Amino acid sequence: MSLPFEGIRIADFGWIFAIPHATAWLGSLGAEVIRVESTVAPDLVRFLSGTDGTPGINRSGIFNSINFSRKSLALNLMRPEAREIAHRLVKVSDIATENYTVGNMKKFGLSYEELCKIKPDLIMLSGTPLGQTGPYAKTVGFGPTTQAFAGMCHLTGYPNDFPCGIGGTWPDFAVGTAMVFFILAALHHRDATGEGQYLDLSMAETVTAMLPEAMMDYFLNWRDNGPIGNRDPAMAPHGVFPVKGDDQWVAIAIADDEEFGALCEALGVPALAKEARFSRLASRSANVDDLENEIAARTREFERDDLVRLLRSRDLAVGPVYGPMDLMEDPALRDCGMLVELEHPESGKRIVPGLPVTFSAMQPDYQPAPAMGQDSEQVLGKLLGYSSAEIARLRDAKVVI
Amino acid sequence: MAGKAFADHGAEVIKIEPPKAGAPERLRGPFKDELPDPETGGLHLYLNTNKLGVTLNLETEKGRDLFFELLGSADILLNPNMPTLNERLGIGWRAMVERFSRLIAVSITTFGAESKYRDVRGGDLIATQMGGVGWETPVNQVTDFATQPPLKPAEHQADYLAGFTAAAAAMCALFQRKRTGKGQHVDTSSWLAMVSMFRPAVGIHSHEAANAPYGVRIRTRAKLGVPWVYPCKDGWVSFSPITDRFWRGTKAAMGNPEWAESELFESLISRATNHDAVEASLIDWLSNENKQEVFKKAQAEHVPCFPVNTPREVAENEQYKARGFFVEHDHPAARVVRMPGAPCMFSRTPWQLRRGAPRLGEHNREILGERLGVSIDELAALKRDGVI
Repeated sequence: MSLPFEGIRIADFGWIFAIPHATAWLGSLGAEVIRVESTVAPDLVRFLSGTDGTPGINRSGIFNSINFSRKSLALNLMRPEAREIAHRLVKVSDIATENYTVGNMKKFGLSYEELCKIKPDLIMLSGTPLGQTGPYAKTVGFGPTTQAFAGMCHLTGYPNDFPCGIGGTWPDFAVGTAMVFFILAALHHRDATGEGQYLDLSMAETVTAMLPEAMMDYFLNWRDNGPIGNRDPAMAPHGVFPVKGDDQWVAIAIADDEEFGALCEALGVPALAKEARFSRLASRSANVDDLENEIAARTREFERDDLVRLLRSRDLAVGPVYGPMDLMEDPALRDCGMLVELEHPESGKRIVPGLPVTFSAMQPDYQPAPAMGQDSEQVLGKLLGYSSAEIARLRDAKVVI
Repeated sequence: MAGKAFADHGAEVIKIEPPKAGAPERLRGPFKDELPDPETGGLHLYLNTNKLGVTLNLETEKGRDLFFELLGSADILLNPNMPTLNERLGIGWRAMVERFSRLIAVSITTFGAESKYRDVRGGDLIATQMGGVGWETPVNQVTDFATQPPLKPAEHQADYLAGFTAAAAAMCALFQRKRTGKGQHVDTSSWLAMVSMFRPAVGIHSHEAANAPYGVRIRTRAKLGVPWVYPCKDGWVSFSPITDRFWRGTKAAMGNPEWAESELFESLISRATNHDAVEASLIDWLSNENKQEVFKKAQAEHVPCFPVNTPREVAENEQYKARGFFVEHDHPAARVVRMPGAPCMFSRTPWQLRRGAPRLGEHNREILGERLGVSIDELAALKRDGVI
């Protein structure tokens, strides 16, 4: 079966989370992604976690769960000879991706201006904390630190309490997903016109573009409401409530008065819905602390899954709060095709999360994450035309490493 | 958000709304001076930039006929309805893909149109809390399980993320159509989009021993390790001091204090093991520092550090200003409006604000009349009958 990006090649200089996530989409859908990395300056994610208690450059469970469907070319970009190899690679590629601190690609001789001379219709995406231009372009940062700049941490938190860091190393993967769209928009334009271009993505700006409610409130009313916890301006109750067991919770989102009545009935406190302090959305919002305490007092009496079943039977919006352990047991997740088992060269058969989407007429091609440099020989020889003797010399000179 | 991504990058996006009520985001605000008006809500003005707006009552046969006529020339359908509603209206994805062989029919729901949970009620909070992101928030700041439940990120991140996911996936299907000539169904889910933000935890779950440090971490929300944000003199900053390089930079930014030379902080492992001591010392230093100053000081030493900015600081910072991130336009109903602009700068085909969010039914005449050939009299009759 054909896949949409067969014949498209990506020279992937990206690392950590955002770019690898983006290229996993494209690699799974047919693109040939060639990850350029090295043992001299390896992706630190290769050392975050291991397999069965043993770390190792090819054993990181985190790395393996993100970097599937690609090749690995081990190239020490700090060596001048590496520049020529990278140039040859870009010449036969359609897309280049990178997320080094601003200035590094230029240092490697791999800035867009230079690569454009080699490959005029190249599409290149750079993802950095604050973008390539502006007074603070050279800042260093990961997504989770950068989002503070963008407003996310200030706005996330328990009501009137401290600003928070967000789970899932937010916003790395969200930005990576947006990158997929931007790269494909540029590829679509190239298909139509033959023109490549440079995409300068600021992680912070992407995050702020996902905070329209607070930003628009500021611009319309010069107001900052700060964090509101799990609450919602248009729904009450809208929160996370304790159930039986240690640190066990359910999320409940009640859209209107009728649903609130159904909730109170299901929880065995129908009279609550009739009380003046709770009978209308406006009154529930005004008395939200009391409301949440009353609901919590009831939810505590239920087992999590019993309560979820009960409220779903009344067509209410409810869900168990999942940590990783429970999440992996969810029957709909196990059933939906997103979790795939791959045989990794060192880690063996392991489950990794594939794309969060199902296509009715194509099936992604998932291949296990590469061991460091596992495709160096093939890429240098077959694709770039280096002889075995040249490759051996490059290895001896620690250019290919 | 999915439609906005396409519209802001040049696609013709026709937003189809129910007559009278309009799309729900129109009623959500934020409104200027708290005065609700479906034409001037902040969320509507932002999410619906560059779109054309028509009204169609899909509960009526005539409304559906016009909808099908629009689909005849459409490449992509973005459909956020629950599957049961689509099936009742006869606009489920199977019927649409069969009837319009080139159409890319995108479902955007909480659980997925083909999920075991397809008929289960959801929404942003449920997707976030079932997707693991809520459980892991706040990161390394939970000191009391009872008063600090799992927390969602600000606003509606699961919904916005579902939008970007659907836009990316629709583009993938569009490229496949270039090869095959055929459309297909693209099933997206805000829940699974959140799960895909959680891939490190999934990878640890499938690879790592339960008693290894990362194996332990995915089993509890308790504060294990350093958080990303710390208090300082006049607010908060984000800070990442843990790797060797960043620790050296942190020490330099602090002026190389004696305590930092302790063997407790010598290596990555020892700093991770003694994270409470690292944190306490860092907070002690930060308590005399202003957030914008410490941002500059730490960055000068190449340490990841940023101020925890408020919306005002986000709106007014020099970096966004220099890049022209916020844009302003004159909207006929809302007058001059500022809003976030390009999330990514394209060198050749830049993000453009070609038109503001449409008024309800603003383009009925242009799209339904001029393009589909509905006469002025018919349009009046359709309006009278509640079809548009």
